[in-house]
Amino acid sequence: MSEYIVEMKNITKRFPGIVANSDVSISIKKGEIFALLGENGAGKSTLMSMLFGMYEPDEGEIYIRGEKVQITSPNKATELNIGMVHQHFKLVSNYTITENIIMGTEPVKKILGIPVVDIKRANEEVAELSKKYGLDVNPTDVISDIPVSTQQRVEILKMLYREAEILIFDEPTAVLTPQEINSLLDIIRGLRDGGKTIILITHKLDEIKQVADRCAILNRGKLIDILDVKDTPTKTMANLMVGREVSFTVDKSPANFGEEVLKVQNVTVINQNKLKLVEDASFTIHKGEIFAIAGVSGNGQVEIADAIAGTIPISSGNIYLKGKDITKESIKNRVESGIAYIPEDRHNCGLIMDFSLAEDLILKKHHKHPYSDKKGFLNASEISNHANLLIEREDIRSGQGEKTIVRSMSGGNQQKAIIAREIELNADLIIFVQPTRGLDIGAIENIRKKIIAERDAGKAILLISLELDEIMNCADTIAVIYNGKIQNIAPTHTLSVNEVGEYMMGVGHNE
Amino acid sequence: MNKKKKSIFISIIGDEKRQSFTIPVLAILIGLIVGGIIIAITGSNPFKAYYNILQGCGLAKKPSYGGKKGMITDFMEFVNYVTPMILAALSFAVSMKAGLFNIGISGQMMAAGFISTILVGYSELNAFVARPLVVLIGFIVGALVGGLVGYLKYQFNINEVVSTIMINYIFRYIITFFINTYYVDPVSRQSVLINPSARLSLLKVRVGDYKMTIPLGFIVAILAVVIIYILMEKTKTGFEIKAVGLSRNAAKYSGINVGKNIILAMVISGGLAGLAGVTYHLGYVGSIQPNTLISTGFDSIAVSLLGNNNPFGIILSSFFISGLDAGSTYMTSSSGVEFEIAKVISGVILVFSACSSYIKLIVNRKRDEIVAANTVKEERS
Repeated sequence: MSEYIVEMKNITKRFPGIVANSDVSISIKKGEIFALLGENGAGKSTLMSMLFGMYEPDEGEIYIRGEKVQITSPNKATELNIGMVHQHFKLVSNYTITENIIMGTEPVKKILGIPVVDIKRANEEVAELSKKYGLDVNPTDVISDIPVSTQQRVEILKMLYREAEILIFDEPTAVLTPQEINSLLDIIRGLRDGGKTIILITHKLDEIKQVADRCAILNRGKLIDILDVKDTPTKTMANLMVGREVSFTVDKSPANFGEEVLKVQNVTVINQNKLKLVEDASFTIHKGEIFAIAGVSGNGQVEIADAIAGTIPISSGNIYLKGKDITKESIKNRVESGIAYIPEDRHNCGLIMDFSLAEDLILKKHHKHPYSDKKGFLNASEISNHANLLIEREDIRSGQGEKTIVRSMSGGNQQKAIIAREIELNADLIIFVQPTRGLDIGAIENIRKKIIAERDAGKAILLISLELDEIMNCADTIAVIYNGKIQNIAPTHTLSVNEVGEYMMGVGHNE
Repeated sequence: MNKKKKSIFISIIGDEKRQSFTIPVLAILIGLIVGGIIIAITGSNPFKAYYNILQGCGLAKKPSYGGKKGMITDFMEFVNYVTPMILAALSFAVSMKAGLFNIGISGQMMAAGFISTILVGYSELNAFVARPLVVLIGFIVGALVGGLVGYLKYQFNINEVVSTIMINYIFRYIITFFINTYYVDPVSRQSVLINPSARLSLLKVRVGDYKMTIPLGFIVAILAVVIIYILMEKTKTGFEIKAVGLSRNAAKYSGINVGKNIILAMVISGGLAGLAGVTYHLGYVGSIQPNTLISTGFDSIAVSLLGNNNPFGIILSSFFISGLDAGSTYMTSSSGVEFEIAKVISGVILVFSACSSYIKLIVNRKRDEIVAANTVKEERS
């Protein structure tokens, strides 16, 4: 038997117009944490999808424990003790943790000869498994009541319950807060120490640095190198991954504040359950200023953005744009008076996934000249010219140009499309919520530069992000929100990362 | 099936664009084959039976005709029968574009038919005034009902499936009460026939040697198809309705007034259902049968789906599905095949067309593989 538990030899996979993997060979040892590093679209997920049986390679061979195998479906992969935690969880939200875990392999007992699910035994098994790997979940909790990080643990338990030996994690930290990331990394280490083999798909270098033993770098479908993580500097990995030098801090000239653009005054948002999501928030943003709101996810920052854009009602307070009270204006009027908004949830709120790229790019101005005439007819050639202009200028990549259905585009290119559309509105205020979430280093750098360029062009920017790096790098002014309340507002240069972090946890002291 | 045959099959089905045509056609072929097998099992000749259906619709020549009758008169009768179906299917397609499921088309048809009947159908108005008035009133009544459904959806988030079904019942019984109390013809047990001057189908019109039906409603249907196509594909309004239908959230975030568009789509959908109602009750039939929701309103859902919710596709699918119906009477009398068989065939076709997204999935997966394999060949040569 070979020393490698997984061997993928000369794998090639093509999709129409794209070679996703070209002659990639990797070998993974039993009991190691093996990372796959690469930008979005580098072919990491495709490679692992083939290992998990969602696609079959066009060329090349896969060996598991030294034996050549054909993995034709995820069921086959499960038989080979391969498990995968997907980026988007696959859980039934009104079932308990145990019910989700045992689904499909329920332990059965017979009562009067009738088989029934032995839920008591299942609960015990799940509790035991969760204890063994330090996962700390309560088997009887219902999925919809537990936080995302716990849901992820349920996904991990699902694999373990099926006796997976080879665990694939697809971008596992994308949805987690910094604290949650640390405990996930601890869990991953624990799994390795328990004898499991881990494959980690990610584009976050520091995570790889922290946990991985070895790391394969992919770029545009090709294997660039396989490195021992502890002998390789982070910078080298980053450069190999992008194929060029990356600057980790964004170059930025000093801010030059102009007149006031947005004024938020004592705004309170209360939801249907009478919960105060935002409490008495007040701040102003000027021309040429990047005003960032830092905070741990779910502390009311997204609601502030929604309230300004008008997509949720506010209970009290006022919002002024360029001195005009827009508190009661419709969403459309707010767009017209100069608010561009890049929302957090691209798929649900930012884009109409089944529209063509050209159609999505004219949203918000489809009713205006030259895209519609006075009688309400659309101008097809203007719409298509506009799309082609943006596609070329912003390098939005898609299979069939302006006619591509947005759903079929990659996440990074979808985000490029939204940002291109919103900046093109030429609004005085641009709200960015989590603009770089889930994107690769190259795209992140690009978007941050764009945000700063818009500031330099005299726009007022509201940047809401969970990435502290992003905020420290881009913002001129930082507000920290905790539990719906703004804790502190100060110019960036007067704050240290640690201070911001303390305010984010609600322990910041008032001076 | 070997690989080569498979790839020919896949290439015939074609890309996304062509699939909107080829997959319904595939469904129809499968339906006809299955239907043919059933006919053969019952001991008749399927080819003869299908030919009888064409003859019944006036698309093929019958061996003999009665006085002043011919292929053309059969065909005109068929067009008269198809007209309400086109409008009803169009009504459903519009609601689907906005992401709504208008299952109340029958009720909307009945309401429009009833109001037009009592306001115009029984009046002594001149034909040139009466007929446009019938169309107008039909549209307005349907639009009001549709608008109510849209308003309930928008204002109180009442599911349109529930509200339209309930409204179906309400109209059915209220209208039945009025017909039975005031307008019933004691012989036919239906409402009294309307005056010919208000009727949208001209009966027994002498054209050459023939006496035929001229369905003026068909002109209305074709106009409606063209207008709806332009509205949906070429205008800002259509853009907004489709945006709301595909993603209510994203539409809202981009400043589109979701409520207004939901109501508007239902007004248009209801209006078209109203037109279907007047072309049926004041055209094809000339009266209203109490206590009955006509099946056209429900069949139109399947017809619209078979036509891919595309206005022009709907014309084709309406002719096809209604043709099976219209020709089945002649099939029964001529081949002795029970007319229920025609229903079986249309049922099979509709089941297969409902599977179209599954067929699409399979075809696209195979097509990707073939394309990939071809790229390999190209790279190597």
